[in-house]
Parts: sequence; C-alpha cells; structure tokens
Amino acid sequence: MKPLTGFNLVRPRTLQGALTLMATLEKTQPIAGGTDLIPLYREVQCEKTNLIDLSLINELNGITESLNCIVIGSTTTHTQILSNNLVAKHVSALHDSCSVLGSVQIRNRGTIGGNICNASPAADTAPPLLVHNAEVNISNQNNNRWIPLEELFKGPKLTVLQPDELLLKIKIPIDSDSASAFKRLGRRKGFTLSIVNAAAFVKREEGLIQNIRLSIGSVAPTPLRIKKVEEEFLGIEMSKRVLDEIGQACSDQVKPIDDIRGTAEYRRDMSNILIKRALNEAWRRTGGIIE
Amino acid sequence: MKINLKTFVLPFQYNVDKSLEYYKILEKLLNRNEYFVVGKNLIRSDALDKCLGKANFTADYLSKESLIVKVFRSCKSHAIIKNIETSRAMNIPGIEAIITARDIPGINQIGYALPDQPLLNDTKVHYIGDPIALICAQNEEAAQKAEESILIEYEELKSVFDISAALNPDSPLIHTDGNVAVTTKIRKGNIEKGFKNSNVIIEDTYWSPYQEHMCLETDGAYAFPDGTNKITVICESQSPHLVREKVAAILGWKLNQVRIIQALTGGAFGKKDDTGPILAAYAALSAKTLGKPSACIYDRIEMFKTTPKRFPAKFIYKSGADKNGNLTAIQVYITLECGAYANRAPFWLWRQTAHAAGPYEVDNVAVDGRAVYTNNVYGGSFRGFGNLALHFAVEQQIDKLAYELCMDPLDFRLKNVLKVGSRTTCDQILDHSVGIEKCLKSIEDASKWKEKRVPIKNGNTLKGWGIGCAYHGNSTSRSTPDWSAASLLMNIDGSFIYRTGICELGQGSPFGHVKIVAEILGANIESIKIEIPDTDSTPDSKPTHGSRGLMMGGTAAADAAIQLREKIIKIAAEMLDCSLKLVECKESYAYNKENLNKKIPFNEIAEELHIRGLNPGAYGFYASPKRNYDEETGLGINYSVYTFASTIAEVEVDTETGEISVLKIWPSMDVGKAIDPIIIEGQIHGALSQGIGFTLMENVQLHNGNILNPSFKDYIVPSAFDTPEVDDPILIEEAYKHSAFGVKGVGEPSIISIVPAIVNAIYHATGIRFNTLPITAERMHKALKEVKK
Repeated sequence: MKPLTGFNLVRPRTLQGALTLMATLEKTQPIAGGTDLIPLYREVQCEKTNLIDLSLINELNGITESLNCIVIGSTTTHTQILSNNLVAKHVSALHDSCSVLGSVQIRNRGTIGGNICNASPAADTAPPLLVHNAEVNISNQNNNRWIPLEELFKGPKLTVLQPDELLLKIKIPIDSDSASAFKRLGRRKGFTLSIVNAAAFVKREEGLIQNIRLSIGSVAPTPLRIKKVEEEFLGIEMSKRVLDEIGQACSDQVKPIDDIRGTAEYRRDMSNILIKRALNEAWRRTGGIIE
Repeated sequence: MKINLKTFVLPFQYNVDKSLEYYKILEKLLNRNEYFVVGKNLIRSDALDKCLGKANFTADYLSKESLIVKVFRSCKSHAIIKNIETSRAMNIPGIEAIITARDIPGINQIGYALPDQPLLNDTKVHYIGDPIALICAQNEEAAQKAEESILIEYEELKSVFDISAALNPDSPLIHTDGNVAVTTKIRKGNIEKGFKNSNVIIEDTYWSPYQEHMCLETDGAYAFPDGTNKITVICESQSPHLVREKVAAILGWKLNQVRIIQALTGGAFGKKDDTGPILAAYAALSAKTLGKPSACIYDRIEMFKTTPKRFPAKFIYKSGADKNGNLTAIQVYITLECGAYANRAPFWLWRQTAHAAGPYEVDNVAVDGRAVYTNNVYGGSFRGFGNLALHFAVEQQIDKLAYELCMDPLDFRLKNVLKVGSRTTCDQILDHSVGIEKCLKSIEDASKWKEKRVPIKNGNTLKGWGIGCAYHGNSTSRSTPDWSAASLLMNIDGSFIYRTGICELGQGSPFGHVKIVAEILGANIESIKIEIPDTDSTPDSKPTHGSRGLMMGGTAAADAAIQLREKIIKIAAEMLDCSLKLVECKESYAYNKENLNKKIPFNEIAEELHIRGLNPGAYGFYASPKRNYDEETGLGINYSVYTFASTIAEVEVDTETGEISVLKIWPSMDVGKAIDPIIIEGQIHGALSQGIGFTLMENVQLHNGNILNPSFKDYIVPSAFDTPEVDDPILIEEAYKHSAFGVKGVGEPSIISIVPAIVNAIYHATGIRFNTLPITAERMHKALKEVKK
C-alpha cells in the first residue's frame, strides 16, 4: 500500500485561524471530507503539504435562509443538504443531485464546498447550482468577495481561488414560482461518476417559458451554462417539439472529449437526452405538461 | 515449448471399485430415509466471526517488525534486460536487501502449465509489470525510494498487443518457441457430411475480453523463519499444497521445510490459484534471505495491473441444423490470448475445446484451438474457466439457428440438449446425472416463457426475454488424475477436528464438508471444527478450483466419516449391548433404535475409543473414476460428471441512452444434490452480479500494454442498484453416482448461462446482436443509432 506521507495536518477551530494559516503557511491545501483529495494523494505523490482541515469551524457548516436566499456553508455535507427542507423545496435540482451523488458513505463525508472547489467537469452539484444562479463567497485574511459560481471554474480541477483564499459559503436566490431538476448518466446505476449530467431551471407562465436556465456537466473543461440556448427559447411556448429543439441546440453547444468513461460523440448525444429529461421534469414540477 | 498432452498423464491406475456408490450413503449405509443436516439451510460456522470482523485474513497476522516486500517491475512491455543496477537503492536507509534472479537459491520458475515464467526476470521482460526484483524494506517510504532508485538498462523489442499481430509470420517472438503456446483439436463424425445435411448454417465470430476478478481482499503473503531451515508462510491461495511445492522449488528446499497456512481468503474466483504461489514465494525469499518476517501485500492498483485476468478469446463458429431443428454439425476455431505467459492456457483452451458444442448433442464436430502469446498482462483462472466465453458464443449460435428456423429458442434447445444416453462434444456417453432438460422445463414454467415471446415497446424502452444454457465438466479434464483427501479426528471430549486442503474463499465449501461429516457421523454440527489448511497437518486435497471443492473434497470427507462412523458404531453397539444394525447416532448421541431410553454421548464413546487403543482418527481419500482421452481425435471420457444450468433473463433497454437494465432472472441448475441450498443460492446471486458485470460494464481498458483503469473508480462492477429481482432458484437433483450424496459442483456453472441469457434477451428486445462484450450503454446507443440509419 502506497503510504500517504509528507503531510502536516492543521485543524483550526475558527475561520480567522484558518485564514491566518492559509496566509502564513507554505503549500497549503484546505480539506474537508477528503473524498476527492485522499484518493488523489494516493495516486499522485504530493510532498510537504499543509492540510488545513476546515471541519471544526462551525460557521462554515450548515444551511440558513437570509434575505430571500439560501446560504450553504462550504463544509456542509451532501447528506445535510439532502435532509434540508429549504433545499428540497426551492432548489430541487440540488436535492436531486445530492440524492444520487457518490454513495451514502461519500455523501456523509463529502462537502458541497469540496465538490465545487475540486472543479471536476463532472461534479454533480455544479449544474444545479449554476442553473440557480448561485454565488460563492471567497475570502482571504484581508478581503471578502462574492462572485457568480460560473466565474469560479477555470478548467478541469482549476479555479480562480488564490493560494491564500477559502471558499466560505454558497448563496442561492429563492425564486418560489420556479422549479428545477437534475439528471445524470453513469456507467452503472449508482455509486459512480457521471458520464454526463444536466440541470434545468424553469419558470412557467401558462404554456410559455418565462425563464429558463440550462447547465450540462462533463462535456467541456468546466460545467457549462448554455446561455445561448436559454436566450433563444425565452418566451417560447413549450411543446414536445420545442423540448426536442432545446435538446438538439444544447448538444450543439457542448465541447466534449473522449476519455475512459465515454466518447465525445456519446456525451454530445447524451447532453441532448439528459437536458430534455431534466427540463421535462422541471416543467412537470411547475405543474406544466408537455404535449 | 509445444506441449505433449501425454505428459499430463501419471502412470498409475486408480482403485475405484468401491462397493459403495457414494450417492447411496443415506439408504445403504445410514439405513434411514431422512437427512439430519444435508439439504437443510443452516447458519455457516464461519458466519458470525465474519460478520463481527473477528475472522483473520492474511494481513491480520502481520507482526509489527515484519519487513515490507515490494516488487520492482518492468515499465516496458517487451525488452531485453541488459543490466540491473541496485547499488544506489541498497544504500537507502531502511533497505535490507534487494533480491534479483541470481539470488534465488532454487529454480527461478513459477509457470503453471509450461516453464515459461521466471519468478524474477533477469534476461527479458514480457509485459508492463513483469517482476524484476524484490525490495525488502523496513518501511514503505524506504521501499518507495528504493523503487525509484533501481536502474534497469533495457534493449527495447517490438511489442505485440493482439493475437492477429502475434500470429503474423513477421511477429517478434515473445518466448523462444514461437507465439503459439499450445494447440488443441477435436474430430468427431464427418463435418462435411453434417453441413451437407444442414438446411440452415450460421457463421459468426465472437470476442470475449479480459475480466478482472475484483476480489475484495487484495493479494497478500506473510512469511517468517521457523529456525534456520524452515519457513512458514501465511497466505491466500486456492491450493496450499501447490504453494508449498512452488515455494520449496524456488527456495531449493524439501517440501517439509516449507509450511503453508491458508488464511481465510476474501474472494478468489480463480485469481488466487495463480497469485498464491507467487506472493508466497516473494515473502518466503525475503524471509529466507534475511531471516526476518516479511510480508508482501498488494494494493488494488498493483493487483489490477499485474495479476492474471480472464483469458480473452476469439471464436469462429459455423453451426448447422436441419429443417426439423436438429443440430447437424459444428466447426469451431478458437484463438486464446495468453498474454505474456501461458499460465493456465493449455487447460483453459482444452476446456473450451471440449465444451465447444455446448450442452447439446452434435454428431459431427471439428474444433481447432490455439493459445497465443502477446505482450499484454497474462490470463489466468477465473470462475467459468473458458466456459463463460465459450457459452457466450455457442448460445448465441443456438439462438440464431432457432430464430432462423422460426422455432422458439427454448423448444429448439429442448430438442437438442444432452439427455441420458447422449454423447458430448468429445463423444462421451452420459449414462446418468443429466438434468439440463429438467432445468429448461422448470424455468419455462416459472417464467411463463410462452407468454413472453413478443418484445414490449413502452415509450423509450424496449423489453425482451432471453435464455441461456450451460454445462460445465466438474474438476480436471482428460486423463489427468484427480483425487482428494481429508482427515477427521475425534477428540477425547467427543468433539471433532476436520481437516481439508479445500480452502474457504467465501464460498463455504468446507462448511459443506462438515455437513456431510455431521450427517454420516450423526454428530452435532457445532461439535466439528474446521482447521484452516496447514500443510504440516492437512492432507493434500488438491486445489479448490474447477467446481471440485465439495464434489471431490466433500467425498473425501465422506470417506473419512464413514471410517470413523464404523468405529463409533462398533463401540456404541458394545456399550449399548445391541447389534451394529440397531445403533443410530444423532446429535452426538448413540442409541439403540429399539430402545430409545438408553443414549450414550459421544464423549463417552471417544473415551472408550482411546481406552481400548483404537485410532480415533480417519484419513479419507477419494479418487475420481478413471477417464481417458485420445490425443489424435480429442475424444474420450473427459470429465467424470457435468453440472448443467439454464437461465432466463428479462431486460429493458432505454433506446435514448442505450442503458440496459436486467430486470429479472429465473435461474435453474442441476446440482446433483443440494447439500446446502442457501449456499447454492448465494453462489447464484454472486454469479449473477459477476455475469451482469462481464456482460454490461466490466472493461479492462488497455493501451499499448498499459491498463488505463486499474481501480474500482474506473473499472465498473455492478452495484446493488444493477442487481435484478431473482426468482427462487430451481435446483434439480440428478445425483452423481460417485460423489457424497450425489453432489456436483456449482461455483462456476452458476455464472455461465447468465451471460448468454442477457445477450439473447437484448437481441429479443432490440433485434441487435453483439459479438463482443461488454455491451455498455454507449455501445448499445451507437448500435441503435446505426439501426435507425
């Protein structure tokens, strides 16, 4: 068994303490559930890393409602999200994704902040958060800023976070007349990484698409918002044909690659199918029927 | 390195003229008409410890001061070794030794069927991961540094990564005697005539890929010196006596200088039959060289990348049938990919050759097989041993013939299946214990097959039903001698110690032995403890493979129990003052059948045995009936008995995503006699998952000899969500005359018919045939797209 060596684990109890450590120690790496980091370190030898464990910091954990927004602390686990009524009611795509992400064990340990900061193109919580216009709060010792989640991702496993910065929380606006849904496709029916995943957010006015946001994961270097298609179909009357057109238009927007989980061609085809299924489900959740 | 199959024949005859046919133990010997434990579902004696985490596996035995043995491996797929430079690595603090081929005191050879596989390579490497040196270190960090410091000077050779390249006349030679390691042949009847009498002929080519076992417990061995001239190794294997033989040869020692203790093993599926001797030899070499306890434990990635997988194989089939639906002839070409070493290939290839007609009677048969080296990871034992791939091909051929003849695939099978009096592929007449017809009829009824002959389209899903049949010769083939042994000791307190070399791998075979023993002795089942196999005290029962653990090992157990029973009855008759015939034993008491008031507990009988100076032990030995084999035609009595199985599968295909769901399975198997139905059910359920994995998702991805997905993350095995509803398994009991209570093996037969059942159901649902596996959602999606065009 390959040993995990060269680590220094620091466990601050306060956010201020964590930010100070991030600013002063060399080669820091925040860690929460460790479900992505530990397997990575087993595969790739990383030397002399200062692991800053965020899991003892109370203010980073939990889900609250404030100013018509749901705020989720970065160390909140998928299981916590799954059992939260606010999320189930207002951010159903996120609830969907947390119900199928990894396994029970992974959901018990893994955190939403970790899932985002790991910046996997296939991260299951990313498309739901993207379609809900989530913003993330980033901080170092001196500055604190909010940015749209979309701007966090720079590429596969890459974010805009500076070496001394932490992602503290995620803010999701509540929009009570809307609905959302998440669909994914893996190489088996559970406990696996997504080949493609997709989320749709929709507001319905009678049969018209009053608002629509679409996101697809694992089809580009980062999870994608498909704004071009959103704009194109705004105000259009929903129908089976329109749903098909949206699916087709989305698959024209993705830029997938071949890898061991699937080919680009399959991913492109599945973008079409999954976004349609997600949108169909979201539409159904608004009380609409697509004929 | 052409193999002469006659070399497998040992020059002695068996004495199998037993007056007792073992399947009649109950009526003839026990003189009763009911079973106490056989056929009942009992709680396995190892269950509680395993559930509580108290059972000990290899790594649980390691001492703190144990050295770490790490294998230094080739990064080249095919190269000459010009120089091995270890001095820099030797200077790293914490490194105790670096062992290379020249340090091996005995024979540097670990090949199973052919001597083509050095334990450590010093002249040439044959695949990425070929072992070159052993790093013996005090800790992991030092071992890792040493691994980075060993320098090998290679002269690279052109590599060959597929069988067609290896068969090209210009191909580089992987081993000196050519790239064909072994060939096989069967000639029966007249195939020209057979095909001339055919109204329908189906020709197709099939490819069955690698499969990794994914045993939960990774390979491991722990060796420690026992004084200066003996080594004990605690390890996982499927044959402790084979491990002893191999380790002794490598150490240059006698068999009695090596003691192998078989720890409980967390999954094997054939893998550990191959890896057991290798890891034990690594650990033992370090322990002998340094005189210190040494452990070699693989992690998942090392195990995945370097150890044997299911042999890939290509089948070219031509099958004919007449207009009445009778099979007329088959012609088959089999090309097996060995990978870097032959390992089990001669036996694997022969099993495929010998079963080539499937469980059907075909008068005219021609089969030609060859096993070919490549520079990929080598193949090895795996549940089904060639028959999984073979039936994937043959059962699709049968299905295609049926559809071509517009016959119901089940009726077509019923018309052609082997029956009592039929002749197998190898012309072996089956005179009893042929239950395939009953298997088929029983699942036809259970599944209401006749009502399911039209596939159902519902929105974007298609539902279909398919059937697969299988037969699997138990234990070893041809004229290879086959025997097993067991020993049984009655302690002075009336408890028993049972010893068998048949290993507990999770499957529960040794517990089946204990049930046989308890039944014959009339002993309380809890009073019999199974000793873990230890070559210093356990008799050689031959390997736990070929579905022989219970069929062979359990019959040796019966032999021992019968001997001990005779002594117990004799003493009891005297103590009860009645005739031998009137003595019955139950729950560890002996009593007079006509006077139930007087009972003598086994502890008193045990004491009496000792006082009278009678041997309280028994050594059981059982040999398979003699078989024969004609080298020219391949015909003969190949296997002493066959297990038969059939399965019906219901599948649903999502036409948008290509996802395939197996919704329900109806399994049936002719098991001879079910010693423990719930263990058989366990085998069927496990086999089902392994079969679904092989059919739908498991995919060893190789690129230039490199395995790209060597972990649970990317080598996808089925999860609980992928597991279908399973109908109650139907167990047919066509007893085998020469085994205890008539038992036949179930471990391998349970998986073989599942794969074709699913594949044929997919065809029924979609009209699409797949000639390679796995049928992933992506492949299905692509195939559906092409159909739409």
